Amino acid sequence: MLEQQLINGLTLGLIYALIAVGYTMVYGVIQLINFAHGEIYMLGAFFCVTFITAAGLPFYAAILMAILCCILCGILLDIIAYRPLRKAPRLAALITAIGMSIFLQNVALMIWGSRSRPFPQAALPPFFREKALVLGDVSLTWLQLFIFAVAIIMMIGLYLTINKTRIGTAMRALAQNKTAASLMGINVNYVISFTFALGSAMGAVAGILVSVYYNTLYPTMGYTAGVKAFAAAVLGGIGSVPGAMVGGVVLGVAETLGAGYVSSLYRDGVAYAVMIAVIIFRPSGILGKSVIDKA
Amino acid sequence: MRASSWIKAVVAACLLALVCTPAWAQRIKIAVAAPLTGPAASYGENIRAGVETKVEQINAAGGIDGVMVELAFFDDMCEPREAAVVAPRIVGDRDIVGVVGHVCSSAHLAALPTYVRMGIPVISPTATNVNISQQNRDNQGRVWSFRNVYLDDYQGYFLANYVKDVLGLERIAVFYENNDYGIGLKNAFVAQANNIGLAVIGEEGYVKGATDFAPQLTRLRGGNPDGLFIAGYYNEGALIAAQAGNLGMNVVKFGGDGLDNVDFINLAGDAANNTFMTVPFLAEAAPEHAQEFIKMFQERFQRDLDWMSANAHDAAGKFIAAVVAVGTDRAAIRDYLAGMDSLENAYIGITGPTFFNEIGDPEKGAFVKMVKDGAFMAAPVQMQ
Repeated sequence: MLEQQLINGLTLGLIYALIAVGYTMVYGVIQLINFAHGEIYMLGAFFCVTFITAAGLPFYAAILMAILCCILCGILLDIIAYRPLRKAPRLAALITAIGMSIFLQNVALMIWGSRSRPFPQAALPPFFREKALVLGDVSLTWLQLFIFAVAIIMMIGLYLTINKTRIGTAMRALAQNKTAASLMGINVNYVISFTFALGSAMGAVAGILVSVYYNTLYPTMGYTAGVKAFAAAVLGGIGSVPGAMVGGVVLGVAETLGAGYVSSLYRDGVAYAVMIAVIIFRPSGILGKSVIDKA
Repeated sequence: MRASSWIKAVVAACLLALVCTPAWAQRIKIAVAAPLTGPAASYGENIRAGVETKVEQINAAGGIDGVMVELAFFDDMCEPREAAVVAPRIVGDRDIVGVVGHVCSSAHLAALPTYVRMGIPVISPTATNVNISQQNRDNQGRVWSFRNVYLDDYQGYFLANYVKDVLGLERIAVFYENNDYGIGLKNAFVAQANNIGLAVIGEEGYVKGATDFAPQLTRLRGGNPDGLFIAGYYNEGALIAAQAGNLGMNVVKFGGDGLDNVDFINLAGDAANNTFMTVPFLAEAAPEHAQEFIKMFQERFQRDLDWMSANAHDAAGKFIAAVVAVGTDRAAIRDYLAGMDSLENAYIGITGPTFFNEIGDPEKGAFVKMVKDGAFMAAPVQMQ
């Protein structure tokens, strides 16, 4: 049973990790907690289903189109809601982010209606629901393996982008000192847009994977996922990309074990208790660097 | 001189118009308090479909004495906090003659004190929690809140007997949503299960909007259940059924009216098969005069009539019947509704005759519906 719970937890945790990196990158670069990130995740799922049902695209093409749409949404979100407030106090941007979250949720409610809808099964590769591995009581489906693979590949790609490319270097420079970076000739707005685009793409993939995994999507699905991913980002050390990955997996596993062994009503409680414990004993998070706040 | 008599005439005409205004500009509004946004918004949509079809029928036939009936929607998001905010706004609008709502038991309980204190009649199409009937009287003992649906204790009791006697189940795993509805239903079920020797091997709670049930199911699977009781609503219920299927649990699923929506089948896929549920309304068992409406609903909304919409349709119908009979005074409407106290005085709606007992609860039976081959059908064995 423990093995099964660990598999359950890992699946959930990798998805949290995908969303959490979006939070943490934006925070790292402009110190903004982008609460509307959960809605990008929700939009990813809805775009994907819409491309399948309305445009008749095959599954993988629909994923690509959904990612592109979410990248566009992420960049627009930054330009419309956050760029005008770049020099305003951080609190103003935070409140705008919450506002955008509610706004996007209700736009989705208007466009797609409030009913939960299933993911169109006919579009999925048929092997997804089949068991890839059965060992006694433990079973692992191809879909779970697919989620593992996609999440891990995306995270490796992200890691390479941040550490091995020019734009990644620019992102890291911006995270250290925005003014100095712009004096060195870095186009600040361009790099920030790129950060939003990258985070939104990861969020979109997470949204699609979740809606396939649970076979359900609804306009308010971004909220809880957003809060959990935020907790994961804090857990790992907000601003740290590897931290967000580790934080997501730890949170997913802790939550699953909490629900499986303590009480299912406390599953969120267990998750947040872990987060609080980390904040108390290691305020910078698992992999965060302890930095002295500039303020 | 001439000018001043003109002015006098105009003033007199204006005064006359003012005095007469209430008589011909009167409006009849029915409030609908339901979750229109938030995680439970789809229930609000069911209610809206139900009341709108009723009001359209009346207005198409010329309204009530030529006055069109209007609907005023109030969003409670299925949350007690929001319900307590919208209740005073409803009471404050003097054109409103009564309230169809609230959908969620918790929200209904929160709004109830305002309605009772300020005197406005309410009919909930869906709130099944037991505690409501203890709080719906004012200090003169008059009941203001009525229900169009049976109670959770009856439903839970009924289900325990049904799965043991008819389905022959022995070991039950229980999932319940952690709110007034889920807990009330679960408690009644477990109490009766203990009475009749049905083993409950585990109880797991969850909050609305939860999506991952694999850990709880993994744990319950160890207890070898042959039945899975889902005391909650269809969105989460479908996920529970589907994930149980993924984990290879071959069990009979059953639950209360919260599961009854075609979305349960859409979301759960094959895992929806072999699910039984109690419902207050069954199209197959509906009276003859309702069949035409059921067909119209199906064509218009492209889905089968669900019990929430059916009950909301009848709740609006009762208010309209009351206004036709006694006018728009809230207390008079209440008296009229309270007068539906026996089969002879019952309101005949599409869910069959409804009448209320002295605490505002209806005497309505439960039907059993099941999912077979991806579609709803009446269960082969009904039990009363």
